[in-house]
Amino acid sequence: MGGSRRVPGLRVHLSPEEAARLRRTAELVAARVEGGVPERGADAVRDRLFPRAYLDPTEERAEADWQAAVHAELAAAKTEALEVLVGHLDAARRRRTGHLEVRLGPHDVERWVAALNDLRLVLGTELGVSDEDPNPDPAADPAQAPARATYRFLTALQGELVEWLAGDPGLDPLDPDPLDPDG
Amino acid sequence: MSRLEVDAPTLPVETGEPDLDEAVRTERPWQVIVWNDPVNLMSYVVWVLQKLFGYSRERATTLMLQVHHEGRAVVAHGTREKAEADVARLHAHGLWATMQRDA
Repeated sequence: MGGSRRVPGLRVHLSPEEAARLRRTAELVAARVEGGVPERGADAVRDRLFPRAYLDPTEERAEADWQAAVHAELAAAKTEALEVLVGHLDAARRRRTGHLEVRLGPHDVERWVAALNDLRLVLGTELGVSDEDPNPDPAADPAQAPARATYRFLTALQGELVEWLAGDPGLDPLDPDPLDPDG
Repeated sequence: MSRLEVDAPTLPVETGEPDLDEAVRTERPWQVIVWNDPVNLMSYVVWVLQKLFGYSRERATTLMLQVHHEGRAVVAHGTREKAEADVARLHAHGLWATMQRDA
């Protein structure tokens, strides 16, 4: 043994509130993933999670065959990614600051990014996110403020993880977390 | 302060331009289309196109911008079977993708 090898990966620091928000949203989204192939037009969220492959109405048979072939696998992959995310939150290390530290390898980050995208698809569809209003302001609608704040948090977190995956992290690996006395 | 602390960076793997074999290149019977979506981050769409199709960052960015500005972009061609597999992979990553015959 001996020696150390730097394993690609990163540590995500979350406040307890952020972790709770992530977990709660993941559990809500997991419930929306269940239920088989969506009945089109009945639920915009499920239509968006599981879009059609064919738009051509003469290809209805091919669409049904395709859904029959892939839906269960797609749903299982989404469920697994959500479970991985929640599992990482369960295994997070609590720092003396009270923050939670989640250690992720590259494959973990990819699954987090996919899971976060599904969380944002569900919340974004429910909130009516549009090109004109891509990041709804929580202060503009008190009734939707918690969901809007969660959507913004998810957007920021996914954006940071995608930047890291793309190799353009904008992060200094040598810069210790100034709020982290353990670091 | 960022919430992320890097242990070591990683980079997507470029495998060159569109993965079209010669037989498909001459027929191109089906198109795989990605549609504009207000939720998916631009950076995420670029990363997914690089990851799934091996496109360069420049090509993936061009396609993403076409999706953003024109509402849709053809991101791949191929047989029906290949297009169905590509659409499934795009859906697994949350992109809004469909397929249709070449015009």
